[in-house]
Amino acid sequence: MPLWRRLKTLWRNVAPKKAVDADLDAEIGSYRQMLEDEKIRAGADPLLARREALLELGGAEQVKEAVRDVRAGAGIETIGAEVRQSLRGLRRNPSLTILGAVMLALGMGSSIVVFSVFHAALLRPLPFRDSGRVVELWETRQDRGINQASFTEANFWDIRAQNHSFEEVAAYHYDEANLTGFGQAEKVTAISVSAGFFRTLGVSPVLGRDFSYEEDRGGWSNHVVIAGNRFWRNRLGADPNILGKSLRLNDRPYTVVGVLPRGEPWINDQLYVPFGYRANANRGSWEFAVIGRLARGVSADTARADLQRIAGVLAQSYPKDDKGIGFHLEPSSTWVASNNTRRALWVLLGAVGFLLLIACLNIANLLLARGTARQREIAVRMALGASRARLVRFVMMESLLLSGFGATLGLALAYGALRAIQVSEIRGIPRLEVAGVNPWVFGFAVLIAMLTGVLSGLAPALQAPASGIAASLREGERQTGSRGPGRLRAALVMGEVALSFLLLVGAGLLIRSFTQLMNANLGFRTENRLVFSVSMPDTYWRKGIGKQFLDRCFQRLSGVPDVLAAGAVSHRPVEGGDPGMGSDSSSGSGARRAPWAGWRVVSPGYFRAIGLPLLRGRFFDESDKPVWAERGQPVPPRRVVISERLAKLIFPNEDPVGKHALLWKGQGNLDAEVIGVVGDSRERGPASDPTLTVYLPYGPNALPTEFVLHTRGNPLAVAPTVRSMVASLDPNLPVADVRSFEEVVHRSVAPQRFNAILLGVFSGLALLLATTGIYGVLSYSMSRRTSEIGLRVALGASAGSIMRMTIGQGMRPALIGIVLGGVGAWWLSRYVATLLFGVKPFDIATYAAVAALLLATALAACYLPGRRAMRTDAAVALRIE
Amino acid sequence: MPAPSNTALLQGTLDVLILKVLALEPMHGLGISRRIAQVTGDAFRVKAGSLFPALHRMEEAGWLESSWGESENNRRAKYYQLTRAGRRQLKEEVDQWARIVAAMASALDIP
Repeated sequence: MPLWRRLKTLWRNVAPKKAVDADLDAEIGSYRQMLEDEKIRAGADPLLARREALLELGGAEQVKEAVRDVRAGAGIETIGAEVRQSLRGLRRNPSLTILGAVMLALGMGSSIVVFSVFHAALLRPLPFRDSGRVVELWETRQDRGINQASFTEANFWDIRAQNHSFEEVAAYHYDEANLTGFGQAEKVTAISVSAGFFRTLGVSPVLGRDFSYEEDRGGWSNHVVIAGNRFWRNRLGADPNILGKSLRLNDRPYTVVGVLPRGEPWINDQLYVPFGYRANANRGSWEFAVIGRLARGVSADTARADLQRIAGVLAQSYPKDDKGIGFHLEPSSTWVASNNTRRALWVLLGAVGFLLLIACLNIANLLLARGTARQREIAVRMALGASRARLVRFVMMESLLLSGFGATLGLALAYGALRAIQVSEIRGIPRLEVAGVNPWVFGFAVLIAMLTGVLSGLAPALQAPASGIAASLREGERQTGSRGPGRLRAALVMGEVALSFLLLVGAGLLIRSFTQLMNANLGFRTENRLVFSVSMPDTYWRKGIGKQFLDRCFQRLSGVPDVLAAGAVSHRPVEGGDPGMGSDSSSGSGARRAPWAGWRVVSPGYFRAIGLPLLRGRFFDESDKPVWAERGQPVPPRRVVISERLAKLIFPNEDPVGKHALLWKGQGNLDAEVIGVVGDSRERGPASDPTLTVYLPYGPNALPTEFVLHTRGNPLAVAPTVRSMVASLDPNLPVADVRSFEEVVHRSVAPQRFNAILLGVFSGLALLLATTGIYGVLSYSMSRRTSEIGLRVALGASAGSIMRMTIGQGMRPALIGIVLGGVGAWWLSRYVATLLFGVKPFDIATYAAVAALLLATALAACYLPGRRAMRTDAAVALRIE
Repeated sequence: MPAPSNTALLQGTLDVLILKVLALEPMHGLGISRRIAQVTGDAFRVKAGSLFPALHRMEEAGWLESSWGESENNRRAKYYQLTRAGRRQLKEEVDQWARIVAAMASALDIP
């Protein structure tokens, strides 16, 4: 059929509907008339003829309906009519519509929030060309139990030269530099990178050029710098003519040769300088992070095999340093979100899935209840020739419309919630700041809206035309609820309770582990502590300038009345790095593997400032010198303070004070006397076990740069004093990362807090929905049974027995749901095990509390309908019939 | 009144019958129904519930055209007639039927 004709008929059928319908009416009318004429001509009584004609026609309405169904545009027309009809139905029942839409909006809003966070953190690709080929490389020493270490400089160059599976391999190293000549002195991140770094990532500068390979060969004298985009915008004034200009880093001029495009935070807010190849590169010190870009068509496994081959060569060529060397390769997708973050986001996604399911069950329940009340209407429609498929569609349409409203409302809710989350600066979820309602999230919303619409409409739709027309027409007014739908509704309630149990257990476990985390004994004190860092230029490491500066600082601080104690450490606890070494007692047998202990350079006042208790021996004093000899000086007597657990490990059953320890075992083998033992501390934050630590004394060639002050009252009140003090000593020294120590700890548990808060909110919503579910079903079924209860009362049932009956009816599905939920939670809790801290996945207390909470809510939901039933007046109730 | 025949209309049979009947002259609905009964020896009695949907479907497919006119007994009636596309369709369907009949006859050993 030609297109224009098809369009014409489509138009004729859809647009001037009245005319077409009238035409059809007339046609069928004339058919009937002629049929009648025919009968009369055949000699039938005119009255009988009319009746026979009608019988033979078989129902004018059905015929018309059948014609409408085959017409082009029938789909559009009937769907339009159904939408209008459903909208009318929803408007007639505003309480159901609003309640349903709100419930769905809560479920969908939560889902959308979690999905947009999930999408930002896990699905959005890295801003690199072909990011699937970018990987991260690590050295391993499986023989010593080290399965993820940084690269040594020499091993990196060897890998780069000898591999056959990478397009490019690059190394980088975080460094800090003092940027001067741009207003106040600032400490900035200046990352040393090998020349191929940006080619490995697949990033090209938007201004200027990349580092050339010649700059890799130029040693350290090649002073060029590339700026990250945000750095360029914020600190270099987004100067378009920046190329060729010079920056002063650590008092040396660097020429700007490039500016990077906008990107992830970690390539955005810093400077890059080439680190250059050295023939005599170090093979003993693990310092460099290494990334690689797989050659086209090379799989990660092929690359692993290739690296294994090189490892064999290296182990043979350099047995001293590379014995047992291996390599570990990880996809770059883990850069954004760690495995635990991934796990947490999956758990949250599962949780909102359950929440949405609960909302669906609730809507299904509401529609079911209404469907029973509407059986007459549906029976009438069937009698008028509506096909079964159309009826199902009609009921479905309602739930689809409802979930459409819910999704719209949910999108608005999610938008608001996301903004609130972003404004409140809940940290710990990567890329949270870019999470928002984008096309992907919108698509997700549409998808779940359709899914929930179909899901919540399924039970009511299947039930609608099930019973026979005649039966429904007759039964319509009967006042007892039939058993079938009642049982279905009870099953839905059961499902809701079970799902709520799952969510509540999840939330309970996470909240409990979060409180455990907050109450974990850190070893050091966090209250009234100020931390800040001062970065010192290279010149401070010469001629004792740095140590003089530190001592002057301590001296001045001791004069500040609000500062009770002051000290400094090389690596800030919880937030800072955690360098380590093999440590043992010097008399220790060589057979045992040396424990890995972290090392920290500290000033004598550090222990008191951070509140680490002295258990044995003494703290450092000014007579203790750094363990590293100064150039041209004799090796000083080395003295160290160690943590309690390390003391117990390497000096079991002995007094460690006065004993000798071997530091950097297998690397430098420094012998040092233990002069004191201090309490254990969780250097890596509350979620990690207490660390083994060796404290080393500071000195001219060992400068701690992280200050810790014990203050009287609010620590941040001292911050201005600190800044002006440092500026008065050297205006070129930047003070950075000024925080209270409590905030440091607070930040470190941000992911756990995020999970606990979100899951807590979701389970609260689940509880609310389940409660309305139980209440709704019970009060509906009680109102259907009014006459029955009236009869019972008339026959002498006591108020108490009516109440017991109601509660029995309501609590049965709740109890079964609780049992099912318990089993489900026990089975599912294994997936949250890695997120827990100090709580077992099957924590009896949590399970019992959740069960009690659900029981209590269910009872409360039963009470109101029960009381209403109890007050049923027999006379009134029976009169309804 | 003859007993209604149980011969169910084969799928697609109705269309070709309507086309065939209309190939002679324009007709209204009841006329089509009666003519089909006549030409098939009362084997097929088409009810309004099947006839009208088929007519409207075929009209939309462009095989038929309709117009209002006077019936033989001076009643207003809607007349259907074949279009050129309808005649092509009839020829195609008749050919197809011939093939089917031949195939079925040989398969079922009907002489």
